[in-house]
Amino acid sequence: MRGDSTSLRLGILAVVVLSLFSALFARLWYLQVLSAPTAQAEAQLNSVRFVYTEAPRGRILDRNGKVLVGNRVVPTVVVNKTELGEKPEIVISHLAALVKMPEDKLRERIEDPRYSPFKPIPVADDVPKETLIHIREHQAEYPGVQGVMLTKRAYPNGSLAAHVVGYVGEINDAELDPRKARGYRPGDSIGKSGVELAYENDLRGQPEVEKLEVDAQGSVLRSLGRQPAVQGHDVRLTVDLDLQKVAEESLQQSLAAAQGTYDNESSKRFLAPAGSAVVVDPRDGSVLAMASFPTYNPADFIDGISEKTFAELNDPAGHYPLNNRVTQGLYAPASTFKLVTSIAGLETGLITPQYTVNDRGTFTIGDPPTTLTNAFSEAFGPVNLSAALTVSSDVYFYELGSRFCPGQCNTSIQDAARELGLGDFTEIELPFEASGRIPDEQSKRRLNDSNPDAFPDPEWYTGDNLNLAIGQGDTVVTPLQLVNAYATLGNGGTVYAPHVGGAILDVNGVEVRKVETRVNRKTEIPAAIRQPLVAGFEGAVAASRGTAAPAFAGFPLATFPIAGKTGTAQVGGKQDTALFTAFAPSNDPRYAVTVVMEEAGFGAASAAPVARRIFDQALGLPLTPIAYTVGRD
Amino acid sequence: MALDLRSAGVRRGTSAWRHVDLLLLAAIAGITAIGLLMIYSSTRQSQAGAGLDPGYFIKRQALFVVIGVVIMLVVALVDYQILRDIAPAVYGAAMFVLLLVLSPLGTERRGTQAWFQMGPYQFEPSEVAKLALVIALAAFCAAHRCELDSGRLTTALGIATVPLLLIYLQPDVGTGMVFVAILMGILLVGGASPRQIAILTLLGITAIVAVLQLGVLKDYQRDRLSAFLDPKEDVQRSAYNLNQSKIAIAAGGVGGRGLFQGTQTNLSFVPEQHTDFIFTAVGEELGFVGATTLLGLFGLVMWRTWRAAITAKDEFGMLVCVGVLAMLVFQVFENVGMTMGITPIAGIPLPLMSYGGSATVATFAGLGLVLSVQMRRFS
Repeated sequence: MRGDSTSLRLGILAVVVLSLFSALFARLWYLQVLSAPTAQAEAQLNSVRFVYTEAPRGRILDRNGKVLVGNRVVPTVVVNKTELGEKPEIVISHLAALVKMPEDKLRERIEDPRYSPFKPIPVADDVPKETLIHIREHQAEYPGVQGVMLTKRAYPNGSLAAHVVGYVGEINDAELDPRKARGYRPGDSIGKSGVELAYENDLRGQPEVEKLEVDAQGSVLRSLGRQPAVQGHDVRLTVDLDLQKVAEESLQQSLAAAQGTYDNESSKRFLAPAGSAVVVDPRDGSVLAMASFPTYNPADFIDGISEKTFAELNDPAGHYPLNNRVTQGLYAPASTFKLVTSIAGLETGLITPQYTVNDRGTFTIGDPPTTLTNAFSEAFGPVNLSAALTVSSDVYFYELGSRFCPGQCNTSIQDAARELGLGDFTEIELPFEASGRIPDEQSKRRLNDSNPDAFPDPEWYTGDNLNLAIGQGDTVVTPLQLVNAYATLGNGGTVYAPHVGGAILDVNGVEVRKVETRVNRKTEIPAAIRQPLVAGFEGAVAASRGTAAPAFAGFPLATFPIAGKTGTAQVGGKQDTALFTAFAPSNDPRYAVTVVMEEAGFGAASAAPVARRIFDQALGLPLTPIAYTVGRD
Repeated sequence: MALDLRSAGVRRGTSAWRHVDLLLLAAIAGITAIGLLMIYSSTRQSQAGAGLDPGYFIKRQALFVVIGVVIMLVVALVDYQILRDIAPAVYGAAMFVLLLVLSPLGTERRGTQAWFQMGPYQFEPSEVAKLALVIALAAFCAAHRCELDSGRLTTALGIATVPLLLIYLQPDVGTGMVFVAILMGILLVGGASPRQIAILTLLGITAIVAVLQLGVLKDYQRDRLSAFLDPKEDVQRSAYNLNQSKIAIAAGGVGGRGLFQGTQTNLSFVPEQHTDFIFTAVGEELGFVGATTLLGLFGLVMWRTWRAAITAKDEFGMLVCVGVLAMLVFQVFENVGMTMGITPIAGIPLPLMSYGGSATVATFAGLGLVLSVQMRRFS
């Protein structure tokens, strides 16, 4: 009954309807078939939140399992920001009164953007247990407030071995970036120095991960599951807590003694502001004690260090207590370097052990002639190599040093130094190690290039070789390099990479892995070379003319012979650096010790007594009282 | 014979049911069932979370459906030709109610004065006014045998303009657009010349541009309408709805995430989900398969309504069906298109799916008109 026109119009209507439906189908296809994977990921992100809670870090133990760094359970009040209820202002004001905290400070804490809104925010710690009980009993007054037990770093021995263990702090952006893939998040704790940094991966553990479902308002609906935290592994060090204590105390006492002593050369008392002592086992490079002064308290860094304390720790007037002088301090080795010069002389055949120099106290060289002298210009008479080491004859070593320069100087001394690992990283696992420098023609030229004002002369002269021969000039090494070089002589030629870590233990104390002993280099030190050197170093400790003999008076050297060497380094504009380095028992050493004290005079006078007490402790002998001893080197 | 059935308007009433379109009824039943399920799915979690009855919305909607079905059957039972005779009265009554809702008797919600509050229920007169417009325009065009000169066209435009103005005063842009769709549909089939239609289309486009550009709309209205053009631009405001809605639908994938399993749906990421954005729940939980099934059912309703138009025994019946068809097609296209970001966001419910009493009852009443025409095609 429809007219043609009406049928056509109804047909057009049908076409319009069909095309509209086609558009819907096409769009549906695009969204649900083509874009589904991305949209599913977006929907997932929309509704799921992960909340991470850090695991307690592993502990740091000494070689006998005594706790150097542990954990402490702290009663803490936490606030769930989203659960404060209808009247958060009133809850905050009640809570502020309860934990005795200014209200605005509490509010600031709660609003701290570092914290995830889904994570309870710690607002007050070390609160009395009664406070936690009060909150639990009056929970209706404190919606969203909870008392929990959190774990924190604890230092039962205070600042003992602070430079070895290091400290923990909040991760910063530079540290976070490379570690994001490993699950680190803003606000996490991370080792900042020492063992805490070196063994971060072992100590850290795995955080608790809670998966929460949230709605469009961000309210938590339910937990979708929880992966419990795994506490970090313990690190057992090679350090002996008792020996460490003796090393630190002795170092401090000796610095104090030096500060009470008048320095004739500079016409004032010794400043003796800083020093370090290190003990390693020459048989495997394990560190038994590592003391650096001034020191700091790692507990200051718990919950973030105060700005004031941090400024103090970085004030030059405080001599940088955060620096570990054993690995970072650079010192001229002075006479302790004669070990190297002796080996170079014997290896190249320039001298034999019997070669004798008649030491008249002075040595003249060059045109116009320059005269160099022993300390106090003391004349030792005819000395062979061993005697020269025992009495620390500079004249002998000037003479020897000049022999490396028939016209052009050769690099035998530098080569011997590098063979022993001097002037290079020891590869200890502790961070921020300094490399030091054994000067040669190239390094002198480089110094001149980079700073012509301080280093005006680019040429290498015989005089430079003489300075090098007695460990002066531009020669600088770390105490750790020095102790390692003597340990190498002691063990017959193996340069170990020193290490403070012994083993990694799980939470039950079962060993997960051993920290392996690493060998940097094996060199050949034949008996013909070793024997006269050891004899000379033994003499330095035991012989009546020995430079360190006063410090070791009364020590049972017959049963426990010590090979040692004093050193006194001249430093421009400062008082002398005191050095002493030794290993014992000299025939089969178990201990190598180096003590370095800044602006403290003769090594024999201030450094050797520290080493003496360390050996006292090692043998279980009564500790010899520290006194600023007489000495010449 | 005690009662003259013919004069009672129930002419051959009982026998007319023999011709009722069962396919259309089945499609309506299918859509309504999916609608109830989706309303439950998108409200149970938030209701339970607030400690309220998770079945609150589905129970109320079920009541609306029952009322709607009863009204649909009553309307189908009445011979539609009676409506032609009383069309001016129907139209006048509807305009009066639209005017009344603007008075203090009406209630304002979210800036729109469009409801009468009646105890726990609201009544939205503009939903019923759509049908009044369908009847009035169909009666007018049919009276002129589908031949509209410019004078008659102007009258037809006038018939549509009165409710449009009243709805603009509420203001409710979305519902206004439905009135325009009804007008265009009936004019297309009801006798406007191609030239007239072209001119009207041009005028319409100009009007839309003018409305968007001339500040007739409030900022939030313009933002909502134009958010579909670039939803990534401002996720926080109007485009938030759209983005979450698209994520929900796309996340459904081919098979859907399963009934009650959609996280977007369960966790209230899509605002207004049980009302205007109900299609997102279908998309997310039932996937491409479920969404195309639903659109297929709508297609079935459209096809049967179109068939009812083509087989109607008179112009009035045909144009009533065309009017209802235009109303349904526009609402489905605009609503589903908006959830997928291809049409502007406007507060238009999805027929038979969205939660809401007035719209549900009005849709069923419109389908009752179609049934009434379709059942009586042979008489």
